[in-house]
Amino acid sequence: MKFGLMYEISVPRPWTRESEKTVYDRALEQVKLADELGYDYVWAVEHHFLEEYSHCSSPELFLTACAMVTRRIRVGHGIVVCVPQYSSPIRIAERTATLDILSGGRLEVGTGRSATWCELAGFRANPDDTKKTWDEFVHCLPKMWTQERYSYDGVFWSMPERAILPKPYQRPHPPMWVAVTSPGTEIDAAERGIGSLGLSFGPFKEQEEKIRCYRSVIRNCEPVGEFVNDKVAILNFLYCHQDDAQGLATGGKLIGTFLPFANQFVHAPEAIPSAQQSGLLSALRAHASHRGPSGPPEGMAIGNPERIIRELSKWEAMGADAVNFMLNVLETIPQEEVLASLRLFAREVMPHFRHDTQSAAAAGGR
Amino acid sequence: MPRFGSLDLKAWSATAPVIDGYKTEPWELKNVQTVEVRHEIGDVEAVALLPPALHPSIPAYATFRISRIAESPVGAFGWCEVRVVGRAVGIPVGFVLRCFCDNAAAAREMGARWGYPVTHGESTIATLHYHVSAAVTSRGRAILEVEMRNREQSLSLLPLPAVNLARNNTDDSLVLVQVDNEAEVSRSERGNYRIATLDRDAIGAAGAMRLANPMSATLSTANLTLPRIQYIYDPARPAEEGRTVLA
Repeated sequence: MKFGLMYEISVPRPWTRESEKTVYDRALEQVKLADELGYDYVWAVEHHFLEEYSHCSSPELFLTACAMVTRRIRVGHGIVVCVPQYSSPIRIAERTATLDILSGGRLEVGTGRSATWCELAGFRANPDDTKKTWDEFVHCLPKMWTQERYSYDGVFWSMPERAILPKPYQRPHPPMWVAVTSPGTEIDAAERGIGSLGLSFGPFKEQEEKIRCYRSVIRNCEPVGEFVNDKVAILNFLYCHQDDAQGLATGGKLIGTFLPFANQFVHAPEAIPSAQQSGLLSALRAHASHRGPSGPPEGMAIGNPERIIRELSKWEAMGADAVNFMLNVLETIPQEEVLASLRLFAREVMPHFRHDTQSAAAAGGR
Repeated sequence: MPRFGSLDLKAWSATAPVIDGYKTEPWELKNVQTVEVRHEIGDVEAVALLPPALHPSIPAYATFRISRIAESPVGAFGWCEVRVVGRAVGIPVGFVLRCFCDNAAAAREMGARWGYPVTHGESTIATLHYHVSAAVTSRGRAILEVEMRNREQSLSLLPLPAVNLARNNTDDSLVLVQVDNEAEVSRSERGNYRIATLDRDAIGAAGAMRLANPMSATLSTANLTLPRIQYIYDPARPAEEGRTVLA
């Protein structure tokens, strides 16, 4: 099983000139360490206007910086919003290809659509259309990356024949994913032969059903790209500490901090009567507090290494290929503790899930 | 961390109804036709209109509900409810600024049982195939006028619980009362809309509600249940800390 970091870049008030820079600097320090420790991915979201919750409106710039300070870790859009009012698909193809070149072929392209009224209305985008625009974009992107010249005449966008440049460094193109939050999106992912990038903290039973369904459908997919990416990644929090009680307490604080401010944002179904999905944030708020019979939320990677190994083993048995961790929320946990948690996890948890020789060195930590 | 409302509770409590304990039985409201508009409002004004127990939503918005209720325990009545939406313990709720009612018995009972701040006002809804107009007047003065066009069938809006500031008659305390209306929607349509008139003083916003970005308008028909009261809050403390679950 592979492990990654997921960044929302949450910046607590009061905002000073330095506060956003501090959060970005800390994130880069974490990514640099994660690269050295053998973590596999760093993902960054694309959000707009979500004050405090996410100041990550230009993830391609953050990911480029990540690529520049690392050598091995893969950099991922988690996700790039496939809504024309946010970005032309031409610009997405160009930006991602450039990032793939600059990172030396380490790019993963997560795709998706916005779910909050806050963001969609901010761009004057129609929530009824986003699933359709996403579908057009994911069908076009691989062709824009691989064909020397490309033209398109679709429902939501069009372009005359042009050479879209540069082309990605990875051939035929970077792996593609889709954010899976609302029910049924795992089927969309499977039918199109793209990876399932879980972005909600679901309970085991629900996630297991999604993975089972995905595996079943992808066998007969019609891939939008040149190859099938049949990987399933899930989202989690990480706080690893030798003292289980302290790990649970701090990890619990992380989760507890997350909920109230994620809940502030107005979601599309609250704003307009539509058949649209509930989306990431509402999925997060529905599930982040899900608890087992007793104790911490089910499946969370918080506590001591033994506990975390137990929880992650359940995800592995369920068929998850990767787990992506949120490390901090609103800078609740001091940077040194975040770094220590990353090191401890790499040293004592990661080796249990590495079934290749490469991981032994990675698990050494420092 | 999330921001909180800054409503001046002492000043606002002058209009708070006296609630007769929290033991009301549910009411069934049948064949309720409602025009509801959700509209973004200025953030600063929204924070000033929410009690400190609630977080403002992002973006800030208000709901304007104009209803004609065909059947209730006190007969038919017209009803209008203006709310500013916030968050209480993670869920969206609408803090009720003012209600307008044209049936004295209904007005009295809605205040005494659920804490709605009701004043006299007449609500009308006129539906044509291409156009819906809904209006509230009070003593001949237009309070709220909404026009909806381009009707099309849709899902219903996510329902929002109401939260009312009331004074409890048993201990004279100020409380926020959450009313989790249940709706059985038989028909729902959406359309473009325009708020033609809004008397900000009459709705309790002291002239300070800036209408910003349009969101949605719906016309629905439903049977509603006004339930037993399950949750009350200390209006001055964060709802996460000041909530009481009633037996």
